[in-house]
Amino acid sequence: MYSVETRSLSKSFGTVTAVNDISFAVESGEIFGFLGPNGAGKSTTIMILTTLLKPTSGQALVFGFDVMTQPKQVRQSIGYVQQESTVDEYLTGRENLLLQARLNHIPKDQIDKRIDDVLELIELSDKQNDPVVTYSGGMRKRLDIAGGLLHRPKVLFLDEPTVGLDIQTRRKIWEYIKKIHKEFEMTIFLTTHYMEEADQLCDRIGIIDRGKIQIIDSPENMKNAMGNEVISLTFENGNSADFLSQLRQIDLIKKINEDNNKLTIFASKGTEVIPKIFQISSELQIKIISISLTQPTLDDVFISYTGHEIRDDDTIFNQKREHAKMKRLRA
Amino acid sequence: MNSLMYDTYTIFWRELKRYKKSRSGVLIRLIQPAIWIIVIGNTFSGTQPLIQSVGFEGQYIEFMAPGVIILTAIFTSIFGGVNTLWDRRYGFMNKALTSPISRSSIALGKMSAISLISALQASLIVGIALAIGVTFPNPFMIAPIMAIVILFSLGFSGISVIVAATAKSQETFWGVINFLGMPLFMLSPALFPLELLPDWLATIAKLNPVTYTVLLVREMMTGVSEGGISALLSIGVITVFVLVMVGLASYVFTREVNKPF
Repeated sequence: MYSVETRSLSKSFGTVTAVNDISFAVESGEIFGFLGPNGAGKSTTIMILTTLLKPTSGQALVFGFDVMTQPKQVRQSIGYVQQESTVDEYLTGRENLLLQARLNHIPKDQIDKRIDDVLELIELSDKQNDPVVTYSGGMRKRLDIAGGLLHRPKVLFLDEPTVGLDIQTRRKIWEYIKKIHKEFEMTIFLTTHYMEEADQLCDRIGIIDRGKIQIIDSPENMKNAMGNEVISLTFENGNSADFLSQLRQIDLIKKINEDNNKLTIFASKGTEVIPKIFQISSELQIKIISISLTQPTLDDVFISYTGHEIRDDDTIFNQKREHAKMKRLRA
Repeated sequence: MNSLMYDTYTIFWRELKRYKKSRSGVLIRLIQPAIWIIVIGNTFSGTQPLIQSVGFEGQYIEFMAPGVIILTAIFTSIFGGVNTLWDRRYGFMNKALTSPISRSSIALGKMSAISLISALQASLIVGIALAIGVTFPNPFMIAPIMAIVILFSLGFSGISVIVAATAKSQETFWGVINFLGMPLFMLSPALFPLELLPDWLATIAKLNPVTYTVLLVREMMTGVSEGGISALLSIGVITVFVLVMVGLASYVFTREVNKPF
């Protein structure tokens, strides 16, 4: 039996299809991640799996329980840590966990011990009696995660666990997630739009875009498939068809995307590939204008699997609105 | 059944914790009823002969003090459900909805917390009333009066929870609540004797559960009953009102929270 399984799952809101016919299965004990931009359908999928939304069609199972017909059993098997912090600010850390323990029907005689243990695990024991309003963003997130695993769920859902946190705090949260996974051996299903996060935490990743799963594989395989490095170069004059066909013969090059006189080359061992590129270009008398070597980013993975860049229309829209607001405030 | 009570208590506990930590709110919410009892109570002190004509001895302020206690209960409880909207906006609701507790226990927990808070606020108004010279012929009546206030507030918190669960925005919530709260208070004998209301107003007032609560509490405080409505009838009307509201609120809440927010 799989921990999480969907069969042709779809969810539409009016005319918008948020999740479009997705099927996947997560093994017990696995850390599985959904990687995709905002609006790709990640949160919608989590909300279906946690019984908050009803699918339009298809089936979703959590530990064999159908989210539609056995929501109560599903709720008893899961922990859910939402994207935004959901702790009560005016309650103390401990009171928040006590609330969580009661919501999840932890037997009364075990509540105190469980809370002590989990506070120690996330290193908040000394701050447990402070109101959460005094906590930093990272501490709140830790408390959120602690609340999600207090009742030792079989599957822990983490929706964008590190969004909005600085890079050190993000690393720290990753450590905690690894630690709890090791300690409780639960299945973890997370969503993220950070390539590095998916890479650090997940055994397998599903890339999701516009409501569809593009590929599911381990991070290693994905990176190997597209090379570890990305070479971007622009050139002028010369026969680009010859240039491309010769470049494709280099073993270390996995994939080339062409956009007029701009090439994006996915390769392993980029530092060894660059001299070879220059060799070919000088033979063909092609003038290289610029060249750069970078690590693959989420953009590159996306371009590679989806054929287009991450569109973050929402973000752009929000930025515009924010700018308009700022202007009004200044005026 | 056992777990419904446990879950209701969990939510009740959380709501009370939040109330306790918002001390400034407690005082702010007292300002309005305090103004009512002090300003209106004295403004209309000249209506004493009218009050006496329907059998009340004493000052106008003693006649209207029960009305202001009920006013406090109405507004504390009818506003009380607003945090349902915050809970839905800031994720607590989703946290509760993905846990094994039942949906109706969330509504019931909120309502029971609201009605207790409402009674606490009302008891502060009783304190203010005593401080400005309102006398209780029978001080032992204070506890039963509070019990009535809790019961009545449970019904009104039901209205609040229904509106909050159905409304998608704060604006809608406040619009509907203000539309309901004031007329329900005004269309009752809280400030003026039922016998002296014009017929059509008296008829409307007799359809209003606030009327029966005001009459009952006033009878408990002053010992005078009005308009031939017995205490037993009042208790009956209040009980039916509360049962209907509690049932309706759990039903509507459960239905609404299952829809995406």
